[in-house]
Amino acid sequence: MERKDRISRLVEQASNPRYRGVLEDADVAMPGGGPECGGSVVVYLKGDGNGRIEGLSFTGQGDTISIGAASMIMQKVRDEDLTMGEVLDLDYGAFVESLGRDVVGSRTRNATLGLSTLKSAIRKYQRDARPGT
Amino acid sequence: MTEQEIQEKGYAYPEALVSTEWVQQKLDDTQNIRIVESDEDVLLYDIGHVPNAVKVDWVEDLNDPLTRDYLDPEHFANLMSEKGITPDTTVVFYGDKNNWWATYALWVFRLFGHDNVKVMDGGRVKWEAEGREMTQEVPSFERSDYPVPTRDDEKIRAFRQDVEKHLEAQGPLVDVRSPGEYSGELLHMPDYPQEGALRGGHIPGAANVPWARAVREDATFKSADELREIYEGEASLNAGDDVIAYCRIGERSSHTWFVLTYLLGYDQVRNYDGSWTEWGNLVRAPIER
Repeated sequence: MERKDRISRLVEQASNPRYRGVLEDADVAMPGGGPECGGSVVVYLKGDGNGRIEGLSFTGQGDTISIGAASMIMQKVRDEDLTMGEVLDLDYGAFVESLGRDVVGSRTRNATLGLSTLKSAIRKYQRDARPGT
Repeated sequence: MTEQEIQEKGYAYPEALVSTEWVQQKLDDTQNIRIVESDEDVLLYDIGHVPNAVKVDWVEDLNDPLTRDYLDPEHFANLMSEKGITPDTTVVFYGDKNNWWATYALWVFRLFGHDNVKVMDGGRVKWEAEGREMTQEVPSFERSDYPVPTRDDEKIRAFRQDVEKHLEAQGPLVDVRSPGEYSGELLHMPDYPQEGALRGGHIPGAANVPWARAVREDATFKSADELREIYEGEASLNAGDDVIAYCRIGERSSHTWFVLTYLLGYDQVRNYDGSWTEWGNLVRAPIER
């Protein structure tokens, strides 16, 4: 895929984000990022109690990379039916590679905003499921 | 909006702003004028930009890659050469977010003595709203000869020690962040990953004037009278004051620096680019909430 195609993919995702919206019965609503710098999102997560993801969505605003990449990670997790453990194992560098380093440049924090917030949501879910640990 | 309408807004230096129509008329004058797009959303230029505009990325082009500082004079001269800019070129900046990053880039250019600078009033959003031509074609210009300049960090830039002295002298400070950042309440939001500052609040005595209050809904700057009402009426600044502006890393405050310097004609305005990511981490730095 050429650079302009990778950009088009991010632009399309940012223009029509997948899994966007509030998940009313979410177990966790995790904010991430900063509204004045790149972008901010809230990731909504619902688990099944056995490590699988039952519901996932996000809201937020930001630049093309932040929102486009957040949309893409939501889609990947749902399309591939990844477990919470598999999401926590996702490598930030590999995700940036999949977006295109030549597109992301130095904005790796923006590119991983959705993924890092999703990981935080999963960790909170796991902490809440094990009170006292 | 035309040049006459900009004149009618009563600015101290109206020539620092140009209208979208002015830019439209000058698109092909690439010998004398270089249009520079500088955005927060780094992909916008690739999606489409003003014809013959070049891109300056505040992170990759204007920052030193290692030290927290701006590029050095050699790299600035090289950047100018790459963009086909000479010391005599008029550089017209525009960008997203109400020209936030455009004014930041302009401020950095001024550090290197490139004073022939202007901002396109209304920025990218106004150009687009007016249905003007956008292109994905990246122009190429012959490398120019740009002598290595001297960077002057004294007049328009403030360092931590300058702010400390300013504080002792009870000089006016303006914090241009959002009210939540100013009050420090953002640090108290559970699970909210704060970027770079261990403490919340503001530098004692600083007035809070969020930067975007200087612009209208169509992204053009407010008139001088409207700006005076905000900065002088509400924040009690005066044209003769020695003012330091700050935000989180010095980008939003460069917008306010531009407003105070060019639109209201203040002679002594400095941008503290260390801003809250420095002050909010300093051991024993005084903080007010």
